[in-house]
Amino acid sequence: MNDLKIENNLLNAVVAAFKVEGKVIRERRVEVFADKNMVSGILLFAKKQLGYIHLAHMTCVDWIEQGEFQLIYTIYSPVEKITLFVNTRIDRDHPEMENIDTIWDQANTYEREMREMFGIEFPGLVGEHEFILEDWDQIPPMRKEFDTHKYAAETFYSRPGREDAKDVREVINERSGAKVPDFAKKYSRE
Amino acid sequence: MENDKNSQKIVDYIQNFARKHSLFVMAYGTGCGAIEVPATMTSRYDAERFGIRGAATPRQADVLLITGYLSTKTLKRVIRVYEQMQEPKYVIGFGSCTINGGMYFDSYNTINGLDQYIPVDVYINGCMPRPEAVISGFVKLQELILAGKANNGEKYRENLEHYRTNQKKIIKNWKMPDYNW
Repeated sequence: MNDLKIENNLLNAVVAAFKVEGKVIRERRVEVFADKNMVSGILLFAKKQLGYIHLAHMTCVDWIEQGEFQLIYTIYSPVEKITLFVNTRIDRDHPEMENIDTIWDQANTYEREMREMFGIEFPGLVGEHEFILEDWDQIPPMRKEFDTHKYAAETFYSRPGREDAKDVREVINERSGAKVPDFAKKYSRE
Repeated sequence: MENDKNSQKIVDYIQNFARKHSLFVMAYGTGCGAIEVPATMTSRYDAERFGIRGAATPRQADVLLITGYLSTKTLKRVIRVYEQMQEPKYVIGFGSCTINGGMYFDSYNTINGLDQYIPVDVYINGCMPRPEAVISGFVKLQELILAGKANNGEKYRENLEHYRTNQKKIIKNWKMPDYNW
């Protein structure tokens, strides 16, 4: 019934223009994997030629084992009603990516967030360095080498819990004299 | 002249009795608990029959209701709101997040344990507490007020040094006005 014709047409148009890899994920979802330098070209091409005028989201994934950041640009066409994901990978030690807020103004906000949370530099990006965090003096918190548990234990005061960590429901029931039905007993921790 | 029951002056007893029955609440709507406050205030649970009602500004409020997790940024605002309130002032911590961080116990920007930064009179546990629990917490606070045991505003003034140290550990760039104590 659905032969993914529009999706394949879109994929072929992008692949023919830029020689990138890509695939149709499912109905109305297409993704391409591009080199870092080609991303802005693909986005501009998709915006001007194919009608993908809406930048829905920009996000970043930390692949610490491969030493890479994956950047995902999600763009959408209100005519074809297809979401196109443009993926790229950049080096983790010197994270730098082209600034695309000349194509979409709202990319500025996403880029500032990535700069703060992952430490990715966007040359030419205008905006305060402090975006959401206040007075942050550690490494960017969304990087995977940042140990949130350790940081929270050092910075905040954790309340000591009960040491025995026992199920106290039976004691409470004895005290109050309530009867526990059988079906409730099987959820006990012991 | 002293009251037999809880050994306080009759003047104080009457004063506390009056205070108990008109708690103006500054509902500081952080986190998910903010949605429980309208449910508590409106007709089904009708908190106003206990004399509990909303206040417009901190300076008109008696109770500061912290309804959920506090990020380090929000904590700054909460401290300012708390310091603007007139005595007698009471704080109710609402939900697990104010008690021990709740599900954000290991977050990099959410505090664990509100009472390290401002004194808390009553904690209401639950995630989220239902309106019955909220009203029960307020009733507990009223009991404390009547017994003359809710004097945390005084406690904050006396131990200001301790609280300031804890607050400044979180808020590194301290640019807050120093109120005249």
